[in-house]
Amino acid sequence: MSVADSRNPAVDASGTATAQRKLRAFDIGGLILTLITLVFAIIWAFPIYWGVITSLKPESQVISKTVELLPRTWTFDAYWEVFANTMIGRWYVNSLVTSLGVTAITLVTSALTAYALSQLRFPGRTVLWYLILASFMVPLTALIVNHFILMAQLSLINTWMGVILPQLIHPVVIIVYKNFFDSVPKEYREAAKMDSASEWRIFSRIYLPMNWGVTTALAIVTFIGAWNAFLWPFLAVSKPDMMNVAVGITQVNDAFGVHYARDLAAAILAALLVALLYLVFQRRVTQAIMLSAGVKG
Amino acid sequence: MSDIVLKEVSKSFGAVSVLDKVSMHIQSGEFIVFLGPSGCGKSTLLRMIAGLEDVTEGEIHLGGRRVDQLPPNERGVAMVFQNYALYPHMTVRDNMSFGLQNVGTPKPEIIRRVDDAARMLEITQLLERKPAQLSGGQRQRVAIGRAIVRDPKAFLLDEPLSNLDAGLRVRTRLELAQLHNRIRATMIFVTHDQTEAMTLATRIVVMNNRRIEQIGTPMEIYSRPATRFVAGFVGSPAMSFLPVTAVSDVGGKAAFSFAGQTPVTTSVPFAGLPTSSLTFGIRAEAALVDPNGAIEGVADVVERLGERSLIYTRLADGSTLVAEDNGVSTVQAGDPVRIAIDGNAAMVFDDAGKAYHAAA
Repeated sequence: MSVADSRNPAVDASGTATAQRKLRAFDIGGLILTLITLVFAIIWAFPIYWGVITSLKPESQVISKTVELLPRTWTFDAYWEVFANTMIGRWYVNSLVTSLGVTAITLVTSALTAYALSQLRFPGRTVLWYLILASFMVPLTALIVNHFILMAQLSLINTWMGVILPQLIHPVVIIVYKNFFDSVPKEYREAAKMDSASEWRIFSRIYLPMNWGVTTALAIVTFIGAWNAFLWPFLAVSKPDMMNVAVGITQVNDAFGVHYARDLAAAILAALLVALLYLVFQRRVTQAIMLSAGVKG
Repeated sequence: MSDIVLKEVSKSFGAVSVLDKVSMHIQSGEFIVFLGPSGCGKSTLLRMIAGLEDVTEGEIHLGGRRVDQLPPNERGVAMVFQNYALYPHMTVRDNMSFGLQNVGTPKPEIIRRVDDAARMLEITQLLERKPAQLSGGQRQRVAIGRAIVRDPKAFLLDEPLSNLDAGLRVRTRLELAQLHNRIRATMIFVTHDQTEAMTLATRIVVMNNRRIEQIGTPMEIYSRPATRFVAGFVGSPAMSFLPVTAVSDVGGKAAFSFAGQTPVTTSVPFAGLPTSSLTFGIRAEAALVDPNGAIEGVADVVERLGERSLIYTRLADGSTLVAEDNGVSTVQAGDPVRIAIDGNAAMVFDDAGKAYHAAA
């Protein structure tokens, strides 16, 4: 044991040294690559930067003859205006409720469906699986009229439920879950069977926790998708107090004319939560997927 | 009391038959080893007893009750899987408690049973760890612990030592034997490793090609194999087989002739022996290098094992006879050697593979 311990750091140290030498040798190539990446990063990030600093300018300074990379006067006026004159707080609540609802219900139903398809043997299983695969190819837009008529008949227009229900169809979540459940070695299931576990216990105590990583990843992706959804929430809601943020900010524009700083402030507020969520969970999503993959080994 | 009885059990996957009318009676408390090459159906048979595979035909009785139509958890057996199948997200304690929780055992009872099993297996200090933090040997113990807490009528072990390194395998083998002595439960152990089978079993079930070749104690299997397959599969080095050219009656005993050799008289009774297509079988320890031996040949390979040497000898008819010499053997590859055969330990096989032994 002690021999191995004393040897390992030496191996690590020499390994790092080789890596450093290699880095130095590739410096020029690396530099060029870095510069190219940087250029693309700037091209990608500049509109966001421009949006943020514009939202921090007074409305009178937004349009000017010169390019002003920084505001001459820093102000949160645009934001206060959005807070004071729009229902953004209410829209945030609507977005949160509908997005969380979509996420929670989608994950629960998809995980259960995927478990049944992956682990249970019942008549029609293959047909059901192909139907789900096929539905993957039907875009939401193709069904939007049907959705609208259905929701209208159910009197769910202008309700949270009306926004949530059509967004629950996520075959891709089922497909991902099924693939992960398929890859769990069958001995776990057999061991659980010998341990008198019911299907529900096998699902909730073995298969779901063993795939916690993919659940986290799917939850974040689904949430972001639901938060950014525009078309369906736009159609399903006409009352301003039932709108979500993405739909709401378009109303800011229409109601008060073109005020760039204010419009951008609203847009940034709309994107803020998702951006933060992604920043916080970015590592976790990657890590989580890798952890789940480790189950297979 | 918890005997396991198999009555003409068959299994086929579609048109492919994997087990053909297997019958046996396992006494309560026995340590039974299913031994056989890969694909002989031994794991399938174990899984059928466990309830993880359907029985195509036949009956399985456990403790006097027919169980072959019951789900696994109602059969009162516990299984240790080859890769242990410990739930990776649960601690050792949770892994061991899971089965008891599922049947609604009261919490204090679960804690007591898990603690008892952990003490017996010396894994108490590991109870709060996750399987990933355990070594192979520790995982093995936890897997056995998970079976013990359920207090099953029988333990089913599917090649449980195959994932351990050589040293640990020997140690775990020993511990498993001690465990069996202590808890006296029926154990069925599947392996393709004859050493494990010989050292652990009270009785070995040698299986080949969908059926049972022989059931017997380790020494019966070794000394009096029922078939040529068993004779060749069990024992290391493998038994030598020599084609017999003629057989003669020497006072009721059979004497066998080989191409270009002096005939060898054995203790096998001549009466009832077929006279043609016989194969002579002899183990290395009954074929000793001896200047006065009846058999002559040329040493092909000399393996020095320390306490003894194995001389792979090529005979005139082209067959190979593995003979034994002492550790400091002077025989070199290429040397002519003479070998003395112990006629009491010899056996012959007919063309169907059936063995003929000296009278017991």
